[in-house]
Amino acid sequence: MGKRLLQSLILSSALAATWAVAAEKTAIQVMHQGDPGFVAAYGKVAERFEAANPDVDVQFIYAPHDAYNEKFSAAVMAKQLPDIMELDAPFLANYVWSGYLQPIKPLIDKDLLDDMTESNIAQGTYPIDKDLYAIGLTDSSVVLYGNRKYLEAIGARIPKSVDDAWTREEFETYLEKLSKLEGVKWPIDTFRGYGIKTEWITYAYGPILQSAGCDLIDRKAWKSEGTLDSDACVDALAMMQKWVKNGWVVPQSAGTNQFYAEGNPAALALGGHWVYAEAVAAMKDNLVVLPLPKFGTKGASPNGTWIWAITKTSKHPDIAAKFISFLLKDKEYRAYVASQSGYPGLKSFAAESPLYANGGPMAIAFEQASKTAVARPPHPAYPTITSAFMQAVDEVFNGGDPKEALTSAAKKIDEDIEDNDGYPPFGDQE
Amino acid sequence: MVMQQSTPSSTTVRKTPARRHDTGRLMQEAAMLAPAVILLTLFLIVPFLLSFWTAMTNQPLVPRPTPVRFVWFNNFIRIFQDDLFWTALWNVSRFTFWIIPVQCGLAFATALLLHQKLPFRNLLRGMFFLPAITSMVVVCVIWGTLFQYPTGPFNQILGFLSGGAIQPIDWLGDPEWAMFSLVLLSAWQAYGFQMIVYLAGLQGIPDELYDAAKIDGANAFRRFWHVTMPGLRPTHVFVLVITTIQAFKLYTQVAILTQGGPKSSTETVVHYMVRAGFEEQKMGYASAVSVILFVIVLIIALIQRQLLRRFDV
Repeated sequence: MGKRLLQSLILSSALAATWAVAAEKTAIQVMHQGDPGFVAAYGKVAERFEAANPDVDVQFIYAPHDAYNEKFSAAVMAKQLPDIMELDAPFLANYVWSGYLQPIKPLIDKDLLDDMTESNIAQGTYPIDKDLYAIGLTDSSVVLYGNRKYLEAIGARIPKSVDDAWTREEFETYLEKLSKLEGVKWPIDTFRGYGIKTEWITYAYGPILQSAGCDLIDRKAWKSEGTLDSDACVDALAMMQKWVKNGWVVPQSAGTNQFYAEGNPAALALGGHWVYAEAVAAMKDNLVVLPLPKFGTKGASPNGTWIWAITKTSKHPDIAAKFISFLLKDKEYRAYVASQSGYPGLKSFAAESPLYANGGPMAIAFEQASKTAVARPPHPAYPTITSAFMQAVDEVFNGGDPKEALTSAAKKIDEDIEDNDGYPPFGDQE
Repeated sequence: MVMQQSTPSSTTVRKTPARRHDTGRLMQEAAMLAPAVILLTLFLIVPFLLSFWTAMTNQPLVPRPTPVRFVWFNNFIRIFQDDLFWTALWNVSRFTFWIIPVQCGLAFATALLLHQKLPFRNLLRGMFFLPAITSMVVVCVIWGTLFQYPTGPFNQILGFLSGGAIQPIDWLGDPEWAMFSLVLLSAWQAYGFQMIVYLAGLQGIPDELYDAAKIDGANAFRRFWHVTMPGLRPTHVFVLVITTIQAFKLYTQVAILTQGGPKSSTETVVHYMVRAGFEEQKMGYASAVSVILFVIVLIIALIQRQLLRRFDV
């Protein structure tokens, strides 16, 4: 009897001890998205971080890419904000303006801050107070991929740098020639298969408008009417509508890998840098990486990607920052991102990525970012800007009138800004 | 006189316990009603009044630094001026007009079939009901693959059956086809529910009526027309109203398969509402849409009731 009592006493005290240890652990929550490979990579980084910091427990909250902002809003409403959140760079202004994020400059390791590329700093900076709110290992870009065999067959000129990118006339001539070439089902894949809600349309097609000489919104007056529905934008969208009408573009329902699928039914691809890894595996030497065409007097290319921020409600911003710093320095994570042709946002990571170095196969993408990158409008109305624009593009690609669609999108954007009193202090800048 | 006097007194005597009895009963009834009334008020009436209130403000989804203002009927005016809303309304109407004959017809036909004394009929009933209990999300993902363009199974089958004469159809990517594809999918997924309702209705018709009709020399068609159909009147009404209301709430299929595209051909009122509320974060505007949807559905249900009453169904 006494022995049993002793045993249970020992057991319960042991339990209490483990409970105490567990209670001492600080939990930090990380909300993120990503394909399965990246999710696994984050998990392994967390294991290594916990091994190095036994008093910290890293908890991941996965939210699917397509509905990420909706999930985040739900977290805000439920007052369940995580400590760390991954966010898509163009939405940063909305989050900072709404008061969810805190500046991270004083928290993140200084060597990492010094290591950031200009475009990486730009995507994490809020334009009003010029403070840094988010940081990432990577940035992004879109290039034009080509099938060497097909391009040689039609005698296309292959540009060597961003400066001698194809002009609009050249590009459309090649599309037409490719459409008649044996083996080519579709001259170009613009990845319509990503759908009409994934940010892809605004991200990848917006620069076509900018290159043609207009924009989604006037970036000084923060008014969309007169800009998005201007002749230049209408003309650019009408041009893309023509490609679709002619059957030159891979349809949305045909999926997303027609460029390197068996038989290579698509000759060109207007694709993100992340397409490179899979395309080169399938096409080897037959893959050419080209700069985006110039649709007007100047070139334009997208930038911005998913970056890490710390929320204002975080009780342990120091530990959160420690984890972000740990993640960005983690060797295995970096190796994985490099294997996925991740676009460098840190100078040291660029040095580790021969892909983007001078003479590397994706050097054009790196060059493009420094010469022609145009960020998506850094304005709190961005959720509406992108939603309205995606809607308009879908309308036009399916036969709608470009002028009408863009006018209605511009009106929607301006209404949203008006509803929010101009999102002060953005309106005061005029 | 004495008797006359006693009469009123006796009535007062009788009245008092009766009134006491009434209040007691009223209290009882109130107590029994209370849980339902409280729950309905809390979860139905209050939210509805709140959404009506929200519909007249510029309430954002999440708290914002700018003040929430009362904007009266601005949201409603904007909605009525938005072409996309009218497209969405037109689309759900189209969807409803298609889905009612397809889904209810299918349900009615299978119910009639499964009401016969077939071998394994319970097993068959279960099989036909299976899609209705399968999650719509799962059904959408599977049908998304079946609909694939140009090499999906449906296109393969059509091509094979027609000997290559029918070109592959872009089921979900062609504005002319997308809504029809959703009708097919939705009817297939949900008709099991209406089928069960019809089966229950069929079982409610007394066998004596059929026996009497047989004795009177009615053939199978006349028995169907003069016994089965009238016997199913309340069922028809119920199925029609339920299917209409469900059709007006079309959302899941759109959210998963088409996101309202192509060319807004599958945009629906609920999808429009969710887009406004959660993507564009305009809760006030979305609430206004929900109020409009409520009024529309209410009007349709009332009209249907009146029509069916007039035709003595």
